[in-house]
Parts: sequence; C-alpha cells; structure tokens
Amino acid sequence: MEKKSLMKRITGSREALLAAILILMIVVVTIINPAFFTPKSFSNLIKNNAVTMVMALGMLCVMLVGGIDISITSTLAFSGMWIGMLIKYEYISGTILPFLLAILIGTCCGFIVGLVISRADVPPIIATMGFMYIYRAMAYLISNGGEWASAAALGTFKDFATSRFLGLNCVVWVVIICYVIFFFFMRWTRLGRKIYAVGSNPEAAEVSGINVRNIKLMVYTIMGCLAGLAGALQVAVYASAMPNMQKGGEMDVIAACVIGGVSMSGGRGTVVGALLGALILATIAKALPLIPFFDQLWLNTIKGVIILVVVVMNVILQRTADANALKRREM
Amino acid sequence: MNKKLVSAILCGAMVLGTVSPVFAEEDGVKIALVAKSAGNAFFEIAAASFVETAEAEGSTVDIIYPEEATADAQIKSLDNLISQDYDVICISANDENALQAKLEEAMDAGIKVVSFDSAVNSDSRQVFVNQAGVTEVAQALMDAVYDIAGGEGQWAILSATSQATNQNAWIDAMKEIMESDEKYADLELVEVAYGDDESQKSTDQTEALVTNYPDLKVICAPTTVGIAAAAKYLQDNDCTCKLTGLGLPSEMLEYTGEGDDYSCPYFYLWDMQGLGTLAAYTSIAIANEEITGAEGETFTAGDLGDYTIVAASDGGTEIVLGLPLEFNPDNIEEMAELY
Amino acid sequence: MAGKSGRSINNVPESPIKHMIFSWEGILVLLFAAVNIFCAWFSEFYNVSSVLRQMPVYLAEVFLMLTMAFILVMGEIDISVGSIVCLAATISCIVCNAGAPFVIVVLVALLVGTVCGAVNGLILTRVPELPPMIVTLATQIIFRGIAEIILGSGGSVSLSNTAGFKAIAGKVGGQVPYILFLVLILGVIAAVILGKSTFGRKVYAIGTNRVTAHYSGIHVQKIRFIIYTVMGTISGLCALFIVSSSYGANTTTGEGFEMDAIAMAVFGGISSTGGKGNIAGGLIAAFIIVCLRIGLGQRNVHSQVILLIIGVLLVAAVALPNIIGQIQKAAKVKKS
Repeated sequence: MEKKSLMKRITGSREALLAAILILMIVVVTIINPAFFTPKSFSNLIKNNAVTMVMALGMLCVMLVGGIDISITSTLAFSGMWIGMLIKYEYISGTILPFLLAILIGTCCGFIVGLVISRADVPPIIATMGFMYIYRAMAYLISNGGEWASAAALGTFKDFATSRFLGLNCVVWVVIICYVIFFFFMRWTRLGRKIYAVGSNPEAAEVSGINVRNIKLMVYTIMGCLAGLAGALQVAVYASAMPNMQKGGEMDVIAACVIGGVSMSGGRGTVVGALLGALILATIAKALPLIPFFDQLWLNTIKGVIILVVVVMNVILQRTADANALKRREM
Repeated sequence: MNKKLVSAILCGAMVLGTVSPVFAEEDGVKIALVAKSAGNAFFEIAAASFVETAEAEGSTVDIIYPEEATADAQIKSLDNLISQDYDVICISANDENALQAKLEEAMDAGIKVVSFDSAVNSDSRQVFVNQAGVTEVAQALMDAVYDIAGGEGQWAILSATSQATNQNAWIDAMKEIMESDEKYADLELVEVAYGDDESQKSTDQTEALVTNYPDLKVICAPTTVGIAAAAKYLQDNDCTCKLTGLGLPSEMLEYTGEGDDYSCPYFYLWDMQGLGTLAAYTSIAIANEEITGAEGETFTAGDLGDYTIVAASDGGTEIVLGLPLEFNPDNIEEMAELY
Repeated sequence: MAGKSGRSINNVPESPIKHMIFSWEGILVLLFAAVNIFCAWFSEFYNVSSVLRQMPVYLAEVFLMLTMAFILVMGEIDISVGSIVCLAATISCIVCNAGAPFVIVVLVALLVGTVCGAVNGLILTRVPELPPMIVTLATQIIFRGIAEIILGSGGSVSLSNTAGFKAIAGKVGGQVPYILFLVLILGVIAAVILGKSTFGRKVYAIGTNRVTAHYSGIHVQKIRFIIYTVMGTISGLCALFIVSSSYGANTTTGEGFEMDAIAMAVFGGISSTGGKGNIAGGLIAAFIIVCLRIGLGQRNVHSQVILLIIGVLLVAAVALPNIIGQIQKAAKVKKS
C-alpha cells in the first residue's frame, strides 16, 4: 500500500511539472502578446491541433505496450481521402456517416497493422514503416492521381468544424469526449489495466493469463480507429482532402507523448500526460509566430530546441523523483 | 527447407504481380511531363490538357511523379528519363538550380528541355513556358491589395515555403513595385509569413498575423494551400481582414464573394488549361525543330494562336501565356467547374 | 552468438553451404538475381550501363545505411541524418562558393557532419534515459532549422565553382562511378568492424542486452557516442555526393533519407530491436532496392506504387520468415 501511494505521488508530480511548464509558457506568451489569452484563441488552438491530440491517445496505448506506430498519418490520409472522394462524388453525405466510415476504414487499417505485428512478430517500427508507405500510396491511388476534395465539394460535412454545441466548437467537443473516454478506459477498466500490465512486463502479463498478442492487436486497432477519426476531423477542420495531408505529422504525435512523459520502452504514461504533451506542443506551434522577436526562419530551430529542453527536463525530474523515492524507502 | 525457397519466390512473385508493363506505341514525339510531386490538383489540371493536346497531335506523353516535392526526388526521376528514349522533357521544377547538372546531361543526350509552371535556370532549359509574367502577376496582386485595403494600411503576405521559387519571385517583384511607385506609399507590408503549404501551419500563421496586427487589412497568399487555409480561418472567425492571392477556383468557391460574409473579394490565377496546352505545343514544336528556343522565334500553338519567344529576366528565353485571370463572385462558379 | 550470421530462419546447425544458401543473405542474393532478371524483362532500357549511370544518387543513401546498421544493431535509431545531410551540404556549398579549395570543402562537410553527430551522441550519452528517437527527432528539426536560417529567405544555394564536385562524381573508364567503389570499400570496412572486431561484438552485446553489456565491462556510453558521431561524419560524406548531383543545396536536401537508410538496413535483416543482422545483408538489400527502383522507374511506374511495393517488401521480408518459422514449429510440435 505504502509503495503504491508513493508511485502515485511520483507520477503525480511529473504531471504537475508538465502542467507548470505549460502554464509558464502560456504566461510568458501572454505577457509578450496578450491576444494569446482569450477563449477564442484556445478554442482555435485545440481545433487546429485536434488531429494530433486525438492521435496522441492512440499513440499512448501503442507506446504503453512498448510499440510505436509511424503509419498513422498515412492511415489518416487514406481514410480522409476516402470520405473526401465519396462526398465529392455524392455517394455519401451528411456528417455522421462520413465520420463512421472514416473510423471504420481507420480501424481496418489499424487491425491489419496489429495482425502483422502481433501474429507475425514483426517489430512495430518496421511494420508501421511499411504500412506508412502502403497506406500513403493507397491514399494517392484513390485520389485518382491528384484530385482534391475542396470546400465546395464537401457540402455540409465541413460545417461540423464551424458549428457549436453548448457554446463550444464541435471539434473541441470531440477532443474532450475522446480524452474523457480514454481517461476512464485506461484507469478503471480491466482492458486498460491490461495494457499497462503488458507494457511493464510482457512475460509476467502472459503468465498471469493475459493474452499479450490480443492486447497488442487491440492497441494498434485502437490507434487505427483514432487515426480514422482524425482523418475525418482533418477533412472537416481544413475543409479539404488531399492525399499528402499531415505527412510527417506522426512525429509530432510521438513527440507529444514523449513530452507528456510516456516511456518509449513501455509501461509508463498517462492520459493526462499525453494531453499535457500535446498541449505543450500545440502551444509552441501557435505561440512562436505570435512572438515578434524572431525572424520567421528561426521558428523550426526554436521548436526543436524547446522539445529537447522539455524532454531533458522531464528526465532530470524523473531522476530526482527516483532519488527521493529511494531515500524515503531507505529511511 | 523448401519453405524458405518459397518465401524468396513469393517475394519475387509479389513484385511481378504488382506491376505489369505497359508498352507504348512508338509514334510521333515522345514527351515526358515531370510534376513537382504526386497529389497536386493544381498540376493535374494543366497535365490533363497537356496530354489531350499532345495526343491530338499524335504524340505520346508520360507523366512522371517524383516521390516527394524535392529536387532530390526530381533528380532521380530525370535519371530514369535520360535512360529512356524521350524527345522532350517538360518539367515543373522544385528548385531552380538543383536540376542543372541532370538537365544538362539530358540535353547532351539529345533530349530537349522545356520547363513550365516553375522555371529552371536559363542554362538548363531550351525555353520556359511562363504562365504569366512575374511582373504582371506581382502588379495584379499589388493592385488587388491596394484596392481591397482602400489605398492605405497594413498588409501581409502568407507564402508557401521559404524556398518556393515562384512565390519568392512574385514577392520580390511586389516589394519592388511597392518601392518604385508613390501610389503604394501608404501601404505597409508588415510581414512575410511561411505556411509551408500545410493547412495546419498556414492556419497558425494566419491566426498569428491577425492577432499580431489587429489593424491588418489584407493578407495576400500567392499559394493554393495557403490561400484556402487562410480563407477558411478568416471566414470562420469573421475577421475584418480580407484576403487575396493566387488560388484554385474550386478550392475558393466557398470563400469568394462580396460583403462581410466572405473572406475573399477576388483573387487571381492564370489559365491552367491554357498553360498545359501551350506547354504541349511548345514541346512538340521544339522536338520537331520548328523552334530552337532562341529569342524572336514564333510558332503557332493551335487554337491559342501565335506566340513569340521573348527574353526572360533570368537571361534565358520564355513564352508568356498571358495575363493572370481574375476570379470574382461573377465568374467563380463557372470557373470552379473547370478547375 | 546465434545472431552472428544475421537472421537465420531456423536454429538447427547445418552444413556451411546449406547454411549460406538458406540464411537470409542467401535469400537476398537470390532475390537480387530475381529483381535484376525481372527489371531486364520489364524495362527495355535496363542494362549495366544505365544502372551504373543512375546509381550514384541512390548510393549516397547506402553510405547512411552502413552506419545506421550499427545504430539499429544497438537497438536504437537515428532519424536526424537527413537533416545533417542538409546542413553539411548547405555549409559546404557556402564554403565552396567563398573560394575555398576543394579539400577544405570536403573537410568542412565531414566536420559539420561529425559535429552534428557528436551533438546527438553527447545528448544521448549524457542523458541515457532519453529515447534516441525523440532526441534525434528534435535534432532533426534543429539541424534543418539551422540550414534554413543559413540559407535565408531564398532557401537554396547553388555552386559557383563545380569543378571539385564534378571530380568526385567522376567515373572509372567513363562507366563505373567512383562512389560505387567507395561504397564497397566502406562496406567491407563496416562489415569487418561489425562482424569481426571486438568493437563490433560489443555493439551486438549492447543490442542484445544493454544491462548485461554494462556489467560485463563494456563502456556502453562510449561506444554509443562513437557510433552516433561516425553516423554524423558519414552523413557529411553523403552530403558531398548529394551536392555533386545537384550542384547546390536547399532546405529539402536529404529529406526522407533516414527512412530510406533504415528501410535498406531492415530489409537486409538488421533487426530494429537490436542484436541481429550484418552489413552484408544490408548491402545486398540496398542493391535490391536500388535496382528495383531504377527498373520500375525506367518504365515510369508511379512513384507511389514503387513506394507501395517497397512497403510490402519491407513487411514481407520480416513477416514471412517469422510466419514460416511458426508453421514449422507447429508442425514439429504436432509430430512429437
């Protein structure tokens, strides 16, 4: 009992630090440019990063079992392109149906990736690298070589991203709902705990009766499902479907998780951490152009340095936390 | 044991099965049309009319899509083309200078080089088919900014990447026009932002521009992805800031109109189909040695009429298609059907 | 050391010849032959001289594969190499344009690469808890960012004096490019270091079990630092050859090279989970991918279709042996 509460305190303090970093960043940016600190600005921040934030949840699950998935933005493009083309040529319409279809396509993509990883024992980075090429190529192929589905062709579907529900943008609601579901799923459901168990010690999990392969299959399917949802969100938010959307964006998702304290070797990481990581990254992207001190050309370098600083700080904090825990135990 | 062999055979079979050779008939001029990358709606429109025109003239066209929108990838594509027996390479370049070595190699191998849409430098081409003169585009955009801003106030540019050849040329020309003419003295260019042709980054940049400069009157986005992202942001957020630039009518249909409900009063592009057609006629004429790409030569480009090769600002020669087209609430619906 | 000869499909000892044929490298050699026969049938332009002519651009990426193999064998990854190539190419072009002799230009490219690699190495060894992927992701953004700053608003630089770079792009007898010899020489050196030297054994040990390696007296961090630094140096070398094909550099130079290098290595049987694979496999795989790309490219197969095929090959290369192994295992269990 004693040990568990200690563990809790450590993870708690990690997230507290992340929150502190985030707040510090927001305060600094607000001092420099007060326009940053408005409800509309935050709503836009979440809307413009909804795709990354939603996929960070899936990446959390994948990374918890010690895996990685770099095929997600290809899945996003594939599912997004599908619904874009279907709407453009008037096979489907409305809002719900395209969303469901995108999620379904994404889930299938993720399921196939999961099968290859869990059943054929292919290392995740290789399997997902292969599927990164495959799904992206398929996105190009279904776009008839290079057609885009533009705002006018998307009909009422794109209105989703501009409509409001209870005073909040619908996209923001989607993000919130996803995070709430996953918060409960990871913390209080048996399946969620099994993911942690597999991640921290696969052998022990296997011995204690958890089907490790099925759990692995499940996390990649969840990832695919969320990537499909993100595909629909991308199309709705930017009112346009292009085969090369979000190319390279998978690295942002991975970075968000790692900044949020999710361990790449598995077993450690929380939904709150992923949320904070994604928000920190989103704040960097949004705030840098708002700060007048730098030339436009410096943005990427500064972004890289901030990511590096945050992950290093994370580790240093973990070290002190571990040292404290050890000291306390010795006493 | 055999099963291991099976795996090897399977791999081989997969390669065989996925692609099947398409042997083209050897007839007329053989043209390779090199894109910047796959998945560019903008290019597809020109390519479609290029192919249509060239095939009507009895030529064969292969469209080559490099893996990525980089010069490195285009070099690999060019290498492939030099190995084959093309008469003409018609290329829209990702970088002005990086392809010089390969294009010179191609010309040494007897392949004619025409560039269109986005130029390569004067040493690496016979002639450049220019969609609209740089100064004409810059002048049109400057006048649009002047008109929309009401003659005075702050304005900003949202460009593609910092290295985009076309965009940089237009921006430089706009700056020059602004300095050289007293008329624009009251306009203040506050910033050139780069959205990297990504929706997400372009949105962030637009928001930053509007937030940093509350008095901003006009954003000029001379890039298709940038203008669509900016248009959506400005329209969704009911900004007072207006937009103009270069974009595709089908992408901009939702955002173009008069009044406060729309973010873009009017914008420009050139005749993309005409560009494809003209590039095709130029390629064929150069392959048949009707023209060599020297200044002063004239040729007939089918229905488009006669064109004269003129000196380009970079020291080479070019054929200018015409003036940029204006897309406004009156003609956009009609034009959106086309492209 | 079961992993000595790379990925072997079964662990039952066999006669050396049989072992050679049925090892992953053996299959790759057969596949290499198959790909060449296929390409020759598929493209009427596919012959020795056209392949040799087109090869140099791809071979520059094979350099990266050689050192990436060491990193992958350690169970790590470096995704910043493409950006190092960009930065080294940019700076060397600028130095060359400033009128420096070509020897200096070469040294500058290698030095820039080495410094970038050392930065990666330093961060990773000083804070060993950090995952290499995330550190090299950050440096990927930073190195390319610095190149963007140097290149300024134009975003590209082109050589004013191409003599030196033309020289390194030269060919023996007008046919065989120098870079092919350089790749083979460096390949042999890398193969000997990884396969035969104590240093190489230590790399495998780190990849198999880092903690054990540490407790058995291997200076894990020192070795990691050396490998990441050399990775940088080799990226500088790659940059020189990239510049020799484009006579300049721009902000997209080297984009995606890291993935190409990793794909070649992985296809060659080098495990990304560490401890397995060898240079020979990586080299043969690299040539398979290069030949396939050239052959398909010569018939203008859509570049995305080529990538799709490479993706399928990549997954199949790892999945098939595993599946066959599982079937065999199941059959054995049934028999007994």
